[in-house]
Amino acid sequence: MIELVRLHKRYGQTDAVADLSLEVEAGEVFGFLGPNGAGKTTTIRMMMGLLQATSGHIRLGGYDIESNPGDAKQLCGFVPDRPHVYEKLSAREFLEFVAGLYQVPRIEAGERCDELLALFDLTERADELMESFSHGMKQRAVLAAALVHAPKILVLDEPMVGMDPRGARLLKATFRQLASNGVCIFLSTHSLDVAEETCDRIGVIHRGRLAAIGTLAELRNAAGGDATSSLESVFLRLTGDSAVACKGDEASE
Amino acid sequence: MNASQSAPKAGPFTTIRRDVASVALLLRPRILSARNRVRQLQPRGRVGLAALGGLALFLWAAIFALFQRVLGFLLQVEEFGPTLTYKLLGMVLVGFFSVLLFSNLISSLSTFYLSSDLDRLRSAPVRAGTFFYARLTETAAESSWMVMLFAVPAFLSFGVSHAAGPSYYLLTAITLLPFITIPAALGIIVATLLVTVLPARRTRDVLFVLGVIAAAVVYLLLRLLQPERLLSPEGAGGFAGFLADMRAPASMYLPSTWAAEVIHPSSGNSTADVAFYWVLLALTAVLATVLCEAVVRRLHLVGWSKAQEGRRPNGAGMARWERGVRRLTRPLALPTQMLIIKEIKLFARDSAQWSQLILLLSLIVVYVYNFSVLPLAGGPLVTFYFRNAIAFMNLALAAFVTAAVAVRFVFPSISLEGRAFWIVKSAPIDLRRLWWAKFGVALAPLLVLGEALVLTTNSFLGVLPVMQWLSGATMFGLSFGMVALGLCLGATYPRFHVENAAKISAGAGGILFMILCMLLIGVVVLLEAWPVYAIFSYRLEELTMPLATKLGIALSLGAAGALCIAAFVVASRFGIDRLRTLQP
Repeated sequence: MIELVRLHKRYGQTDAVADLSLEVEAGEVFGFLGPNGAGKTTTIRMMMGLLQATSGHIRLGGYDIESNPGDAKQLCGFVPDRPHVYEKLSAREFLEFVAGLYQVPRIEAGERCDELLALFDLTERADELMESFSHGMKQRAVLAAALVHAPKILVLDEPMVGMDPRGARLLKATFRQLASNGVCIFLSTHSLDVAEETCDRIGVIHRGRLAAIGTLAELRNAAGGDATSSLESVFLRLTGDSAVACKGDEASE
Repeated sequence: MNASQSAPKAGPFTTIRRDVASVALLLRPRILSARNRVRQLQPRGRVGLAALGGLALFLWAAIFALFQRVLGFLLQVEEFGPTLTYKLLGMVLVGFFSVLLFSNLISSLSTFYLSSDLDRLRSAPVRAGTFFYARLTETAAESSWMVMLFAVPAFLSFGVSHAAGPSYYLLTAITLLPFITIPAALGIIVATLLVTVLPARRTRDVLFVLGVIAAAVVYLLLRLLQPERLLSPEGAGGFAGFLADMRAPASMYLPSTWAAEVIHPSSGNSTADVAFYWVLLALTAVLATVLCEAVVRRLHLVGWSKAQEGRRPNGAGMARWERGVRRLTRPLALPTQMLIIKEIKLFARDSAQWSQLILLLSLIVVYVYNFSVLPLAGGPLVTFYFRNAIAFMNLALAAFVTAAVAVRFVFPSISLEGRAFWIVKSAPIDLRRLWWAKFGVALAPLLVLGEALVLTTNSFLGVLPVMQWLSGATMFGLSFGMVALGLCLGATYPRFHVENAAKISAGAGGILFMILCMLLIGVVVLLEAWPVYAIFSYRLEELTMPLATKLGIALSLGAAGALCIAAFVVASRFGIDRLRTLQP
């Protein structure tokens, strides 16, 4: 469903993303991990057509985002790292607006909005302007908007930031549910718990390059850890902070 | 012994220096941001900035030349030349004062109650006085810089034409500071009282009240001045009555009158009089500031707390207007419909955007009012040519007013997508839809405004039907061109991270838009000047127009129309391309 081929993004003299290739299948939850500034958000923004790649290709559901952006985007739901919304719209209006952008017929859109507002616990404040929403509530509204057209691919950049434990649990359950229905989920996160609990495969990006990719077991092998190593220590080893990773392992023993 | 007892007591100068440093610290982020923006400019941007500087200088020179000409003409009038220039200075100052007052009212709502950095400042251990003086400075600077920029050539011209000595320039400089401070303090007081009194987050209501007050103040100032007296001396009861009337100050209670008494180069005031009026002005500024500080100290937290409370849009269901828009736009694709509705909703709910309407409405009221009091009934100047020549100038002026409205509402439209631009950009729609949605939403009201302005004022003038038709058609063409130019430059110079619409249009792109609009209006009006003159001449002399003249008129008017179409087409194409490549 998602195919990145030798993707490259250069800002001046800096390679934000370099030679990145990976594939994610339908029904798979893919975790995209990396330290701050590793290139996660840049990759995601290129995937969604918000940033132009310096070179390489991105195919979503077989459509190239450069040459066929309309079809590629129609398949996707997107949640950016910061939930900037139209503050002067209510949550319901916002969802209806996004549904309109994705050509969801009006009656179907209304039903879908009600469903999603209920799912994300926003029904009571659905008609309030979003300027008064907390960060977590805006995040939930953006998540609901990403699902309003029943996308085949869901791309999420740090969706857990600002979520309360209940919201986080709901989201993890929703991811699994969507994946079981064949939706392909590409998820960047700092939360290793989320990655460990929900992701089928994990890609670790470091300084713009893919440091490792595979299931948690495969990553443990790649990092040279044992079968009980936590994702945290695997992550630290793969991103070059082995001293901290060893200390962590010793402490946990 | 505790620390406070052991510490040496700070002298008054040390305290003042510390307070000034604290205020400067709060202003630093704004100053540094502006500096960094200039530093980060690419070579292309630097060239653009230099070009804008050059154009600003040109504009300065033009204002200076205009004042020189008008003042030169007035000073030639025997007996009461200096009186007329005094009157003109009074008008200029009253104009500046009223604009400053409105501008400060609107700005202070944003700087004191709606700005996003208030959280940080109010949660930090910043003293109330420091906060107040920093925001007062910011409000006054934000509201006054443009007015003052254009005031400099006017004041210079007064000095040069009256052959004033250095004392005039010195007096002008020291008079402007209290002159700017008074409307800033008054604006903040009124905004604070309204935000505090009215229910939560009702900036809309606050601004409505402000609008009413603003309109009342404009009317009052206008009536105090009676500018039409300059044009119709016969109405003042003979020459002696007129002279006496003109020499009487507009109102002794207006700070603009005090300022005029201080700085008018040939007022004949003694040094003691000048000193009296300056002290009066300065004391009023100090008093207004102290009063303002007391009001803000007491009420800011109450008002700001209310401003943070959420609100619901009127009625949870679909509004009647929305149903109407949906019906009207039914033939369009669903995404385009939704984009149009979104544009209207965001505009109607963003007080920072539509509050500017108040300012513009005041200007329009003054504009139309001026035409209603023109001395057209009788008098030697009132001729066929006079009426229609004024109507022709009116066309250019009305187009300019429409451009001024467009720079406030059309130009910021792309930038106002703001940080939420990702929503449309990541959606499966061609950004051409967004462009045309914005175009339609901007064009409709602008067209109505432009046509209403030009047709109403023309009917006051009682112009020929041909002039009415020509004015209406020209305004129609210019509106299309100006809206496309506004969106195009808005997409070329986007400021996604600026939250206040007024600030967006104050940037380089906004100035460039105004310059291009003036060029477009100027060339179109020039192309129409000869045809209009020819039509009137033949009509007045009741002659039959030869075919060659008819062809010439058609060609000239056709060229004006073609220019409007070219501006619309080129700006739309370029703007859509630019919108597609924008990266939020």
